[in-house]
Amino acid sequence: MIFIILSNDSIHASVFNFKSSLRIIAMVVSADIWKSFLSETGDIARFTGRFFTEFPRPRYEFGEFLRQAFYIGYKSLPLVAITAFIMGLVITIQSRPTLVEFGAEAWLPKMVSISLIREIAPVITALICAGKIGSGIGAELGSMKVTEQIDAMEVSGTNPYKYLVVTRVMATTLTIPILAVLADTVSLYGGFLGANIRGVVSWDLFWNQVFDTLVFGDVLPSILKTFFFGFAIGIIGCYKGYNSNKGTEGVGRSANSAVVISSLLVFVIDLIAVQITDLLQLN
Amino acid sequence: MANETFRNIRLGAFVIIGTVFLIAALYLIGNKQNLFGNTFRISAKFYNVGGLMAGNNVRFAGIDVGTVERVEIVNDSSVNVVMVIEKDIQSFIKKNAIASVGTDGLMGNRLININSARNHAESVEEGDELQTLRPIEQDEMVRTLNETNENMKAITSNLRTITDRINSKNTMWSLLMDTVIADNVKAAIVSVKIASNSSAVLTGNLKSISEDIRNGKGSLGALITDTTLSGKIRQIIVKLDGVSDTAAFITGDFSRISKRLEQGQGSVGVLLKDTSFIHHLNTSINNINKGTIILNEDLEALRHSWPFKKYFKKKKK
Repeated sequence: MIFIILSNDSIHASVFNFKSSLRIIAMVVSADIWKSFLSETGDIARFTGRFFTEFPRPRYEFGEFLRQAFYIGYKSLPLVAITAFIMGLVITIQSRPTLVEFGAEAWLPKMVSISLIREIAPVITALICAGKIGSGIGAELGSMKVTEQIDAMEVSGTNPYKYLVVTRVMATTLTIPILAVLADTVSLYGGFLGANIRGVVSWDLFWNQVFDTLVFGDVLPSILKTFFFGFAIGIIGCYKGYNSNKGTEGVGRSANSAVVISSLLVFVIDLIAVQITDLLQLN
Repeated sequence: MANETFRNIRLGAFVIIGTVFLIAALYLIGNKQNLFGNTFRISAKFYNVGGLMAGNNVRFAGIDVGTVERVEIVNDSSVNVVMVIEKDIQSFIKKNAIASVGTDGLMGNRLININSARNHAESVEEGDELQTLRPIEQDEMVRTLNETNENMKAITSNLRTITDRINSKNTMWSLLMDTVIADNVKAAIVSVKIASNSSAVLTGNLKSISEDIRNGKGSLGALITDTTLSGKIRQIIVKLDGVSDTAAFITGDFSRISKRLEQGQGSVGVLLKDTSFIHHLNTSINNINKGTIILNEDLEALRHSWPFKKYFKKKKK
């Protein structure tokens, strides 16, 4: 009997110890996570603030900006266009059976155009760019950092931030909206083809219905938010590359985390944009 | 350098194409909302707009011709709707046109329908106010539907009672399942059909007969329509009247004669009534018969006598 009581006490004691240790570990871990998260957020905010202080000041690296715009925008066009086309096609094909079930097949162009223009095309474009451009910028600046090219630029009197970061962030901010507009167009064309795979919708009727449905409140907020997507992708890619360390391993890690964080930021910005659009009753 | 120029050209094309697509899209959307081009404004006051809002379409004769610019409350029972309409349509919309709040399809957006009135009127001008129809409210429809449901409930309840009663007794089912009755009914229907056909033919015949009679065809027609014949008939009737008088007179005579005969008066009366006379007459006839037989025998004997034998032989030859 005594043995049982003792053993019960020991069980209680061990359970208590396990719980308390878990709590302590959780506190330590969460504290570390919070600490690193807040620290990184602060660093990114400072890095972003520096962009706004460096951006208006001469000397303007216009040539480098054009070069970056070409590689970031123009070179991404095929990938974005193919993805947008497939998305338009797939969304239309997937939506059709449900609409047919309700006898609302005629609403297919309307529904597809709203989905593509408001949400799918801009977000897909931003995610593609986050993967392609964010990782590219992160890896490029990271390798420049670990090979001390950025330090060399500073020594030679060139402002590396202005030359490397401002040009790239400006390029992403300005070219991703253009990519999004082109993605909208291509995805709607994909939607037209998707609508004609099973059904018959004439070219005129499709575009009439599309523009009959769309209003400025659909197009302008979706284009406006792509500027923020582009800025976030550029700034995160540059930040991760600019602050890369630990050699070549750090380059890969910078590229990877640039993609992850910029993709996450795309969704966060999208959420905020939707909330603002809804609050202002723009659509 | 040349490479950089070519790169810049491609970048420029990329930017221009993207911008053109954006501007084209914005222009098309704006055009749909009548932001570009010539427009004019008209208004209409409604009791209830049923969720209509700025940007909804305005249709004239089923065609999108404009949009709702704003919806504003005037007072507790009036909502003013200002519409922007394409200038090209102005000549077609008359001052007596009627505006109503409708829906695009079953589940679509609210819209304003403008329909022309039958009477002639002048075209609308900037700022004119159209007449309106009170829109059908969904609550009212639901109330009506509710009433219909109540009625349906009562009807189905009655139907249920009827079917229960039918099911509770086999008489109705046996009546319904009996093929002989069905055959009889079918035969009866056929007979009725034949009879109706016959009656139709009969009616037709009667009709043609009556028409013939009316037209004076046939004996009956002539009888009814021929005035000379009626004169003749009248004469015949007069003659018949005379004949009947004569017959009555003759009948009186016969009556008297028969009475006298009955009383045995006159020769015939005696002949009919006097039994002794009859007896005498019978006796006389018998005597005559006997005398005739004897006379025949005498004559036969005379034929065979020699003075007359020669004569009869000669006559026989």
